[in-house]
Amino acid sequence: MAAADNLPSLRAVHLLKTFGDGASQRTALRKVSLNLFPGQLALLMGPSGSGKSTLLAILSGLLHPDGGQVLTRPNDQTSFVDIWGISEAARDDFRRKHTGFIFQGYNLFPALSASQQLEIVLKWGNNLSPGEARRQAEEMLDRLGLLNQRHKKPAAMSGGEKQRVAIGRALVKNPTFLFADEPTSALDWENGQAVIQLLRDAAHSRGATIFVVSHDARMLPFVDVCFHLDDGNLEEHEIPLVVAGE
Amino acid sequence: MGYSLQTLWHEKARYSAGVGAVAFSAVLMALQFGLLLGLFTITSIPLDHTDPRIVWIGSKGVEAIDLGQPIPISYLGRVGEHSGVLPPEPYIANFANFQKPDGGTDLCFLLGHFGNAGIPDMLTSEQRTALTEPFAIVMDESDMKRMGMTAVNQTAKINGKEVRLVGSVKGLKSLAAPWVICSHYTASELMGALLPPDHTKYLLAKCDTPERAADLAAHLKAEYSDMAVYTSGEFSTSTRTYWLLRTKAGIAIGYAALLGLLVGGAVTVQTLYAATIASAKEYATLFALGIPRWRVYVTVLFQAFWIGIFGIALAYPVVQLLAAGARAAGTQVILRWEIMTGTALITMGMSVFAGLFALRSVRGIEPISLLR
Repeated sequence: MAAADNLPSLRAVHLLKTFGDGASQRTALRKVSLNLFPGQLALLMGPSGSGKSTLLAILSGLLHPDGGQVLTRPNDQTSFVDIWGISEAARDDFRRKHTGFIFQGYNLFPALSASQQLEIVLKWGNNLSPGEARRQAEEMLDRLGLLNQRHKKPAAMSGGEKQRVAIGRALVKNPTFLFADEPTSALDWENGQAVIQLLRDAAHSRGATIFVVSHDARMLPFVDVCFHLDDGNLEEHEIPLVVAGE
Repeated sequence: MGYSLQTLWHEKARYSAGVGAVAFSAVLMALQFGLLLGLFTITSIPLDHTDPRIVWIGSKGVEAIDLGQPIPISYLGRVGEHSGVLPPEPYIANFANFQKPDGGTDLCFLLGHFGNAGIPDMLTSEQRTALTEPFAIVMDESDMKRMGMTAVNQTAKINGKEVRLVGSVKGLKSLAAPWVICSHYTASELMGALLPPDHTKYLLAKCDTPERAADLAAHLKAEYSDMAVYTSGEFSTSTRTYWLLRTKAGIAIGYAALLGLLVGGAVTVQTLYAATIASAKEYATLFALGIPRWRVYVTVLFQAFWIGIFGIALAYPVVQLLAAGARAAGTQVILRWEIMTGTALITMGMSVFAGLFALRSVRGIEPISLLR
């Protein structure tokens, strides 16, 4: 189990979300509540259309809920901030400072090298100088075992390399929260396992709170907590005690 | 800027349409305005090839050299005696009917000088001497074929009177009616009753410096309101401007250039729009990470800037090549630096404006679209 604090870093309280009107109205989240802790790798599973991506979008500040709160405590602050109770600009700023994302597609710029994919986040998001951005980007690529591939462009990378670069892009600014949507869906299990191990290491060694949405049950042995969402209702599940590699 | 240029270079095929469109606009605009300027320079050739220190005195309100009305030769007295000013010389500039040796007719434009002041500078001393003979004429060699003239000493008729070609020159091209150079005597004889006795079309006062010419022109303008007074430069500009505006050719070519600009702009907008949409997922990922939208706006605008730069760079040699081709075909194309700079600035402005227009595509990109 991860070395989680006593206080959660993120609390979802009675989240409610519906789509559509009248007869076509569909409830995606029914008063969903959960706690996530620093250094914790959390997995959210559930059937297609169960509301997993909706929950991820609301927790990460990308989609406004119809009701409820998302209380966050970045960098171990003592007080919580409701990210849906602040202005849009403040929420963008929160995401810029504290959140990383990994999406199903790699979404890498075709013209940029592996290193530049990370540098762009540091230069544009954190206003780092080109030299410092390059240094931090290469440091991250080194941790991901990609330093020798830093000049490669996406067209010359394998699927596993692309996903590792995408993970590097999400982690390079050292976020408090990392949200991943089906990060292994396009990978074979060998590469998928490497990716989930990287996420686990990021949570445990850097104290990040990592929330992963996936259908892939093979990830279960690697995560600290697993939630199951079905028809808008959330349950916390037991996970196997044996963790691969530990 | 670096990422913009890198993206442009990496996706050359995608952006080449935009670069080509900008180049097309720039080539069209530069050539059209160069042709226009070249075309209307022809209207003032007799003025541009005479001494710039001449003061031209013509009928009241005359705006172009070919529109002068007869003025009394007695206006000579108005110039008076000034230090550094030679006595004025009469000058005839008038349309006439040219009867070709083979019998066909065409319009020509007589340029009849009295002394040295009105002689175009490309005439040799032998030709100047030859023109002192009555009914001797000189014309540009490019007009000879049109006028049915094949060799020196050949004769034709102007206003029904026989004239003899004593030489040909280069650089005296005409727009509508070929310039025919002759003496004032020859011109007045050819004009006959069309020019009242003791009248001429212009009086040319040659000064010792351009400054004195400007002073004399200013003095005469202030003194006499019933005649037009110009320096050579002023009359040249007035003549070109008159034909440019009165013929509406400038407006027509301006519209054609505008059309080229619109086509170029539309293709550039479409290129940038499509390129931005193609990168929508990558940009959406950056927005999810909290990267401000203005960063992407600036990137798209820099892409527009680079498209403009590459388009203009591509257009420049093409313009020069086409202009050289046009000149070889006998058409005057004047690519002054003002035309080249103006074209570059306008097409660059168009390209950046296209970039601004393409920003609409960025505004529609939302990171939530990445969560399916």
